[in-house]
Amino acid sequence: MRSNLPITAATNRLAGFNAQRESLLGEVEARILKACLERTAGGGDSSLEYLLNEVVFSELSRLESPRNRSEARQLSRWRDMSNRLLRMSDAEKRAALESLIRHYCRDIVGNFNPRVYRFAKDVVTPALSLLLSPVSGVRDGMAAIMNAGSQVHIQGPVEQIRALGERGTLVLTPTHSSNLDSIVLALGLVRAGLPPVTYGAGKNLFTNPFISYFMHNLGAYRVDRRLRFRLYKDVLKEYSTVLLERGYHSLFFPGGTRCRSNQIEDRLKLGLLGTSLAAFRNRAVSGDRDYRIFIVPVTINYQLVLEAQTLIEDYLAETGKSRFIIQDDEFSRLGRLAEFGRKILAHEGAVTLRFGEPLDPVGNRVDPDGVSLDRRGRRIDPTTYLLDADGQLAADPQRDAEYTRLLGDALVEGFHRNLVLNSTQLVARVLFDRVAAQARTRDIYRLLRTSPGSRTVVVADLQSGLDRLRARVTDNPAWGRVSPMWARASADDIIADAMRALSTYHTHPVAVRHGDHVHVEDMKLCFYYQNRAAHIPVEEQP
Amino acid sequence: MSRKDTVGIIGAGRFGTALAHVAAEAGRPALIYTRAADIADAINRTHVNPRLSEYQLNPAVRATSAADELGDCARLVVLTVNSTDVRASARALGDVLDGGHILVHAVGALVGPEGARVSDVLREETPVLRIGALAGPTVWRDLLVSQFTSMVVASEFEEVARETRRLLSAPPVLRVYGGGDLVGVELASVLSNAYTLAVGMSDELDVGPGVRAVLVTRALAEASRLGAAAGAERVTFTGLAGLGNLLVRSSHESSTHSRDYLLGRRLGRGERVADEEFTEGARAALAGVSLAARLGVRTPVLGALAAVILGRLSAAQAAQGIADTVAAAE
Repeated sequence: MRSNLPITAATNRLAGFNAQRESLLGEVEARILKACLERTAGGGDSSLEYLLNEVVFSELSRLESPRNRSEARQLSRWRDMSNRLLRMSDAEKRAALESLIRHYCRDIVGNFNPRVYRFAKDVVTPALSLLLSPVSGVRDGMAAIMNAGSQVHIQGPVEQIRALGERGTLVLTPTHSSNLDSIVLALGLVRAGLPPVTYGAGKNLFTNPFISYFMHNLGAYRVDRRLRFRLYKDVLKEYSTVLLERGYHSLFFPGGTRCRSNQIEDRLKLGLLGTSLAAFRNRAVSGDRDYRIFIVPVTINYQLVLEAQTLIEDYLAETGKSRFIIQDDEFSRLGRLAEFGRKILAHEGAVTLRFGEPLDPVGNRVDPDGVSLDRRGRRIDPTTYLLDADGQLAADPQRDAEYTRLLGDALVEGFHRNLVLNSTQLVARVLFDRVAAQARTRDIYRLLRTSPGSRTVVVADLQSGLDRLRARVTDNPAWGRVSPMWARASADDIIADAMRALSTYHTHPVAVRHGDHVHVEDMKLCFYYQNRAAHIPVEEQP
Repeated sequence: MSRKDTVGIIGAGRFGTALAHVAAEAGRPALIYTRAADIADAINRTHVNPRLSEYQLNPAVRATSAADELGDCARLVVLTVNSTDVRASARALGDVLDGGHILVHAVGALVGPEGARVSDVLREETPVLRIGALAGPTVWRDLLVSQFTSMVVASEFEEVARETRRLLSAPPVLRVYGGGDLVGVELASVLSNAYTLAVGMSDELDVGPGVRAVLVTRALAEASRLGAAAGAERVTFTGLAGLGNLLVRSSHESSTHSRDYLLGRRLGRGERVADEEFTEGARAALAGVSLAARLGVRTPVLGALAAVILGRLSAAQAAQGIADTVAAAE
């Protein structure tokens, strides 16, 4: 199975997706149905009626005030079902369950259009082809970011990951800052010579005509985050599990939605992530103990974030109660998107995609051959983690959830280690530290109430602070790294670059230099950009 | 008997040997691993551990000095070595254990100058992920003379608690309870060992039952504050691993056998103690103080205790200091 030959081009496993689609869906449906029937056999609170009721109740409350005719039609269908539910025979309930499972499967399932993939692949070099694109709605949006592909910097052990992608199945797990992440990733994967991946994208993304087209045809499946009942989540997870079992490289944003605060995510959503262990286990249990799944932490590092203003406002409006789905942000306005493409993405170093060290499904590192290593570097067989007391490979939901939590911890560590700090985050962090020290608080709400006069920082302090911050980051690789562009640059150059970026795109400049001073104009955005480095401890006062 | 029913014990010390004996009495094969080949040999030949020569062990207790034999014969492995040996033992064991093993430790101390929890060290040094901690008011002598006693095993993996209980429970002698608060059980056990010194010290000063009771309750309050800051559940500190452990080690009957308690009495008499004489409890007090400093938790009892251990305060000064700070702060 393993060879030592270098692998220069990744196999596109998604090419055969459409042919497998029906059998894949059939398998998901059969598994979910079996699991539901087993679970509901006991009756009572876990009866089939209860399960159906939960679905109907959730759907009715989601559609309470229908926004269009289609939703009104759906609402009446659910009402009808709600009325019939109590009178249904067991056979009818089972039929209703089957039809619901089928419905949600079809709602989720993705597509892969090789023509679109080839087309998107070509975006990277001859941008002209885009302008000739026959697809309406795509041209305007893509024109804005057509140069972005050439500006996506790729870092990390790409060759190793490409080789592992041939030997096993990849699960890419990036940080999530922006809706542009999907595009940056798609372009970045092509540039890195990595295979296309299938991934779950918020259903709301599919309402944007320009991105929906790409999403739908590049192996994305739809995740409706409004549906929060168990049946839907089960279908979603089983779909992902079957995809991974069949060797489709996948991508999850383990932070869930776009990170509002811009801090590196440390509370990960483990549901979808856990499907990597489930798929690994299912294959092992069915006799294939050599099947491997590799989880790769990825950081997407923007110099500026398209939706920064909306996201930080949302975060600060009510910390912890952020809106779950934001539809009216910069991303939905083509003008803003175009401006961002022109002013920001076209610049050198605007976005860096950094791949981290691959992990196995319980969070161990793997060597270049895909062999799991313990923390002492011993080669280990990951299937031994699945053995029960009798020495049999078996599922144990609590144990497996715990393994996934360990994987999550390893991913967070990987995110930190692979964070790439740009001029904007470095400068924002030092500015924030200085302003906070002057105000004697790091509480953002208090800082927002300080007088504008107290937000001025002497350039010499900013310079020395930057030098110390860079030195500390270099000494602590676990905190991340300074972008190679800025690792050896003078503090002055970093400040100049950050000032240019921070005053170019956002509606108001974040900070402005006046001679020997820099004044923080927008404390919220300064907070937002410094948050990327918030895990770095505050410098001890000498 | 099968691998799944065998109890593996690392360390042929008093507690490890006693635990192996109890498991064997309950009908489970027990295999002790020790680097000392002569001890292993003696146990196999005579069913007596020369370190505990007055006790006859159940014949189902076997010993080996081959680590791989332990890995092959037992799925559940219990680590019962001194805290100073934890890292080296774990590193060596890492070569013979794999992801299928369950590794539980009964070490009531933190490891090294950085004060690492033993479970973290095991995770760093071995490939095992299913890790747990065993603690409680069980003294080795009780196990060997079949006195009723109880312990608690905690792990983030329910399977670890389940399997440990299945293999180590030997009613009516030993009852093992299970829980999920690994951090809590580890810290409660560590800190109660440290506070045993403080109780020994106060007994030597002859402070009387009232002051002793205040010391114990304040110590527990401090321990649960520190534990909560480290991610543990407060209630664990008043359970078997915390209060239970402290009560038994400082009780009239068993205190004379407790190294921690006896060291506390020596400190109470004003003796200076060299590093090499430090007990697990003394090391736990020092590690606890640095943990508290890292987490920003006030621990006046531990702080004063550590100062006496290091010879910076006399026991009487420490007692006064504890009384003053506790009263001032609470």
